[in-house]
Amino acid sequence: MLALFKAMASVPPNAALLEVSELSYAYDGRPAVCGISFDIRAGEIFGFLGPNGAGKTTTILCIAGLLGAWTGGIRMNGGDFAPFRRAADRARLGVVPQELALYEELTGRENLELFGRLYGLAGTALGAAVTRALALSGLEERAADLVKKYSGGMKRRLNLALGDLHRPGLLLLDEPTVGVDPQSRNHIFEALRGLRAEGRTILYTTHYMEEAQKLCDRVAVIHEGRIIGSGTAAELAQQVESPGATLEDVFLKLTGRKLRDE
Amino acid sequence: MIGFLRSAWLLARKDLRMFFRDRTGMLLGFLLPVALVTVFGFVMKSIMGADGDEAMPRVRLWVADLDGSEESRGLVAALRVASTVSLQPEAEQEGLEPESLEEAQEWVAEGKNNAHHVLVIPQGYGADVAAGSVPRLEIARDPGRPMESRLVSIGVMQAFMQQTEGRLWPALMGRSMEGAGMDPASAQTLVGFMESARQLMAGVFAAADEPAGADAGGSPRAAPDLTDFTAWMSPATFVDVQRGDRPSTLTLQLAQVVAGMTVMMLMFGLMAVASTLIEEREKGTLRRLFLAPLERESILFSKFLLAAVIGAMQLVVLLTYGELVFRVNMFRDPVTLAILMLSTVAAVTSFGMLVASWARTQKQAEGLSTLLILVMSALGGAWFPVQYFEGSLPAVARVAMRCTLTHWSMSGFQGMLWYERPWTDSATLAALGVLWSFALAAGAMSWMLFRRRHLSR
Ligand SMILES: Nc1ncnc2c1ncn2[C@@H]1O[C@H](COP(=O)(O)OP(=O)(O)OP(=O)(O)O)[C@@H](O)[C@H]1O
Ligand SMILES: [Mg+2]
Repeated sequence: MLALFKAMASVPPNAALLEVSELSYAYDGRPAVCGISFDIRAGEIFGFLGPNGAGKTTTILCIAGLLGAWTGGIRMNGGDFAPFRRAADRARLGVVPQELALYEELTGRENLELFGRLYGLAGTALGAAVTRALALSGLEERAADLVKKYSGGMKRRLNLALGDLHRPGLLLLDEPTVGVDPQSRNHIFEALRGLRAEGRTILYTTHYMEEAQKLCDRVAVIHEGRIIGSGTAAELAQQVESPGATLEDVFLKLTGRKLRDE
Repeated sequence: MIGFLRSAWLLARKDLRMFFRDRTGMLLGFLLPVALVTVFGFVMKSIMGADGDEAMPRVRLWVADLDGSEESRGLVAALRVASTVSLQPEAEQEGLEPESLEEAQEWVAEGKNNAHHVLVIPQGYGADVAAGSVPRLEIARDPGRPMESRLVSIGVMQAFMQQTEGRLWPALMGRSMEGAGMDPASAQTLVGFMESARQLMAGVFAAADEPAGADAGGSPRAAPDLTDFTAWMSPATFVDVQRGDRPSTLTLQLAQVVAGMTVMMLMFGLMAVASTLIEEREKGTLRRLFLAPLERESILFSKFLLAAVIGAMQLVVLLTYGELVFRVNMFRDPVTLAILMLSTVAAVTSFGMLVASWARTQKQAEGLSTLLILVMSALGGAWFPVQYFEGSLPAVARVAMRCTLTHWSMSGFQGMLWYERPWTDSATLAALGVLWSFALAAGAMSWMLFRRRHLSR
């Protein structure tokens, strides 16, 4: 099964799956993302780090086709990519939004089935996808309960599973661990490592440096709409000329500021 | 990429499932309108007395018999059967009434026992009647209720004529001519003259059967009813034109109320449906739908589908209920009914979608739609048949009335129920045309708003 997926991935490892160049976006004239460039390689977990308001969500919305009026370039597999206009391009992505977006009056299974169908799944393929998603989110036992009866962590896991339902080539995760206890968080990390092992590609947004360090192959640090550093954790440490530094230290060095004003 | 209609249907089905799961929503959608139709229907029925053959409101009239003579008791008895008043106190409750004109005035002033008209029969009434002179009757009244006053006058006149067998109308005539400025001598001559005429006529009618109410149909052979003064004084006679299929228990007001409440509740129901679009926007699920590989306009279209399904169900339930309880003969012409229902649902749905795509928050949508629904219902005739008072309305109101979709829907339903017009009738076609223009215009506008808000770069 695993080999099959790897064989199906036409992109050789280390080639860029998604290329973002000079991406800019402004809300009513107020710039939120200012000419950022990065690429995500096939099969990696790419960390997108930044404090509140840095522009992480905005970047994801541009890539996912929810915002249309950006400038710059976004390419997928070396080709044109326009999810805002083309439904078919939207099917190549899985997005897990930062805000929970679930139908609370439906059960977990009904939520999964609805979105499965909207992504064109039907019959046994749909059944298999739902079963897999329930396993991924650890919600097998509660599949028949209304979502409004779920705990916050369970909703988070369902939110995540919905994004991966149709097994997209690229998964965009916008802070999937907000408000989740360490146990659920570990469950999510395990799930994501499992996906990487299957050869899937993930953009992982967070403002927890420890998370990124544990999980991500490469990271980009975004601050006030600009990327101020990128590479592996080790490369970043070298960049600020203090080998062995944590990403916390890196951030402090790069911006001259503490990451969170706690 | 899946088909437009398929994704719209998937989404509508999801909303239907949630709709039926939400008990409160269901209650609002079905039970509340049923309750409203019931209340308004029965209120109309009892006010308008639609049970009997004569659809005439009855006005409460208190009577204080200070005379206690045979004649005064005769007048009270005649008042009890008069067609326009409902006499108080009831026969078995006598003794509750006020005991003087002053007390009667007090009752009216304070609204005691809901009295707004109190007839006081003074001492000496019997003696006057026996002597053949016009007695004095006084009615303490609230002058702010002219409509009731008119009905009370008719009732009192009816009862008086019946009790005195018309013997006093020449004298009454003389008194009013004097009041109009005729000199007493001429008036007296007139009375004498009329009296001869009366006796002449009384001779002719002596053989006539029981006069009052024996034949409401007014067939030409029935003896003229001398006691119904109003009918007798008018040169016009009524020729009843009853539509063959129309149940005789159906009155215009009842048909109005059943159709009107139904249309109004439909608007509330479909507004709630439309606001699920705003709910999805606020909860973020709309964004999630935008991420899916479907044509984004199908999301808006799914709400149209949902509204059509729920609206049709609501209409069927309400109209069936109205039919069972009030026998308005709703299903006489099922094709016309279906076309009217469809057109109304289409217009109301588009209107709801327009509000939902315009409003930025649920609160805005609720406020605006409640306001619009109430105004349209009142103006469009869902509460009371404004169409029939049209002549007395200012021009602005007449124009405003025609701008409401309620008006056109109501006139379609009224045409079908009351005049048994098929959908091919020109008046009905006109109403349908307006409803569909409304539906298309509002639908197109909501489409544009939706696109501009969500799908423009
Ligand atoms: N809908 C919006 N309208 C106007 N401005 C916005 C909107 N959404 C975000 N912004 C602004 O754009 C900037 C970037 O916001 P964004 O949500 O992308 O940050 P983020 O990195 O995702 O932050 P967080 O960690 O808090 O989620 C912020 O200054 C924010 O105020
Ligand atoms: Mg964010």
